[in-house]
Amino acid sequence: MLLKSTLKLLNNPVNRLLINRINSFNYGTVTSSINLDFLKRDKTSKAMKAYLERAQQHDEFMKTQNEEFKIGKRHLANMMGEDPVIYEDQEKIDEAISYLMPSALYDKRARPMMKPPEKIFPERKAAEFDETGRAHHFLFYTSKPNFFQLLYDAVEHLNGLNKFEDNMTRQQKSVDPALRLELSGSEWINQDQLELKLVENIQPVEYRYFVNVMNRLIEHPYSFRVKDFIDIYRRPLMNQTIILDIPKPHIDKDGKSFITVYECLRKKARGDVTVRFPGSGKILINGQDVTYFEYDQSREQILFPLIFTEMLDKVDIEANVEGGGPSGQAGAIRWGIAMGLRSFVDADVVEKMRYAGLLQRDYRRRERKKPGQEGARRKFTWKKR
Amino acid sequence: MLLRRSSRLIKPHIGLYSTVVEPKLNVDEFRTIEDNPVNHSKQHIGKYYKIDDGLKRKLFSQGGLPKKYEKQIKTFNEACLMVRPQAIEIMEYINRTDFSKPVVRYLLYGERGAGKTMTMAHLAHYGHENGFCLVHVPYAPDWYKRPKEFGPSATHEGMVDLPLDAASWLIHFKSQNNDLLTKSEVGISKTYDWSKREQTTAGSKLIELVDHGINRAKYASDVIAALMDEIKIASTAGKIKTMVLIDGYNSFFNEQTRVFSDTRKKHPVTPDKVTLTQPFINITNFDWCNGVCVLSVDIFGMLGWERESYLPRYLLGKEGFEHLDPFVPIKMDKYDERQFDSCISYYVNRKWIQNTAQGFDKELKFLSNSNPYKLMELCNSV
Repeated sequence: MLLKSTLKLLNNPVNRLLINRINSFNYGTVTSSINLDFLKRDKTSKAMKAYLERAQQHDEFMKTQNEEFKIGKRHLANMMGEDPVIYEDQEKIDEAISYLMPSALYDKRARPMMKPPEKIFPERKAAEFDETGRAHHFLFYTSKPNFFQLLYDAVEHLNGLNKFEDNMTRQQKSVDPALRLELSGSEWINQDQLELKLVENIQPVEYRYFVNVMNRLIEHPYSFRVKDFIDIYRRPLMNQTIILDIPKPHIDKDGKSFITVYECLRKKARGDVTVRFPGSGKILINGQDVTYFEYDQSREQILFPLIFTEMLDKVDIEANVEGGGPSGQAGAIRWGIAMGLRSFVDADVVEKMRYAGLLQRDYRRRERKKPGQEGARRKFTWKKR
Repeated sequence: MLLRRSSRLIKPHIGLYSTVVEPKLNVDEFRTIEDNPVNHSKQHIGKYYKIDDGLKRKLFSQGGLPKKYEKQIKTFNEACLMVRPQAIEIMEYINRTDFSKPVVRYLLYGERGAGKTMTMAHLAHYGHENGFCLVHVPYAPDWYKRPKEFGPSATHEGMVDLPLDAASWLIHFKSQNNDLLTKSEVGISKTYDWSKREQTTAGSKLIELVDHGINRAKYASDVIAALMDEIKIASTAGKIKTMVLIDGYNSFFNEQTRVFSDTRKKHPVTPDKVTLTQPFINITNFDWCNGVCVLSVDIFGMLGWERESYLPRYLLGKEGFEHLDPFVPIKMDKYDERQFDSCISYYVNRKWIQNTAQGFDKELKFLSNSNPYKLMELCNSV
């Protein structure tokens, strides 16, 4: 009877504490003689237990995966007849895989691959509570501790900066404008990236909170003091002014410099274009002059880069082109001429050419006809019956 | 491209649409005041000369100048031709020819729009001024590709007649040689019986023969055959000197025509089954003298599928080539630098080109590849 009631008493966690204390005092009563081992086992919460199990499983799984990956690498080296050491390099592995299992699938993620298991299996959140079930993080019960920690940090920084600003004002010092943060080339990471960084799912409204508070932070005159913190959450804007490396012209036996542009593509036309400088405006397309193109439109296409750079009678052009129709061939040659001319004009003209779209490849292709339709987009004439 | 699109932005100034300019006293560099082709020489190459309106009507009213050129003449309010080096070359040859020898055949060939027809027109003018009797076919392929009317020949079994085309050519012949025919005393050598009641007696003038063909279209083809014989006889006798100009000569040797032997248009005939063919092949033969033949081969004289090359051997075929051999081939080239500049300044002078932004001529030169016809077409919109 007593035992039963004591057990009942013990099952209550608050009482358990009490009992522990009683134990430590060791009063030598009947209760002290009760074996509490089974209670100790019970101490770990169910959630913790489940987590531990899962973690253990995951660890084992990753271990076997790692082993397999290691063996796989050696097999691969064997198959390729090379030293296994160099197959430590991921690039080598990718090369071998695409060679052994060539795939034309459009999405690259759908093609066969072999990567370290850590890269393939997503990271898991570590345990957020200790064995007793007590949360590590003080914001655990917000259910998004990392996110709110971020907001908290941001405000903390802001407060610190305010304090610093007050100090500076008291010392009658102003901000050095040279030190101001230069953020024009970057932007805040987007919601998906933030979620990845925090390992938590957040709502759009929460993302807006993040952007607002971070914007307030960078507007602060002394925001450069927390540059490291800000930089974590910024990504560089797409670098628009990629300086393509302009090849240096070769010299032929007549002392003229020339550039050959290979793989000039447009629609289904493929060709190569040679630009010679200095020249007199001669043009040869597949051994024929500009009459190779019957339509004015095609001739104008070829003329455009030459007129644009004012090099019409200063260079000679030779082009070989095949496949496709006249407009595709003319477009391919136009691109080739423009790319070749870069070597013979100033940098700012090249920049202008880029703005004019002369250096941009035209990737558009013919759109396929759809079943049940007259063409790619056009529908059959609608008839009531 | 750049020119064409910006041409819409031209400031509207006075006389935008007027192409008539005030006459200038000093002669532009691209013009020559020498209007008589007989006096044309190498120094006139690349320059424009003006054809008198009345003369133009006389020589080319029934054809002889390309239709688009006629339109341009109307717009420019003057008929101007450029003196091309090939025309000068042929003129020099003709001036030095010994006319007692068999006729020399000159054959113009070249790409489309290189100026073959225009050179023919220039030479027709030259021949007219020089007192030649002109046998000028403006464009022979018209007969075989776009016949006005066809029907079986009354006189030749199994042949096809083009009465209207033949009659209209006779009108053309008459209008070109009216003065010469009325003035000269050339009589025909024998009596031609057309029907029971109609005949042209020996000794009557050539013009009577021509008139008969014009009035009785039914006999026009036979009249042309007779006329060619008579011209040959008269020329050989030294009574007249003759210049034969046939544009699109290769159409006489085509494999097929769009002339049909039946009214249901089922069976197309070959050119040798058309009664008009033989007389013109006959007059380009070498068996007469006191004359000159200037012929041209044209890629568009062929029916659609045979247009791979503009060279005489391809266009004439074996038969045609052997018939003409030996001949003097003369290639019509595209404009050279001087001729191109001259043409451009003529267009600018006529205010036909109004947008003279920097480098416009280079652009036009590239796009047209200095081809006269292409240049004309491009300038229509500039």
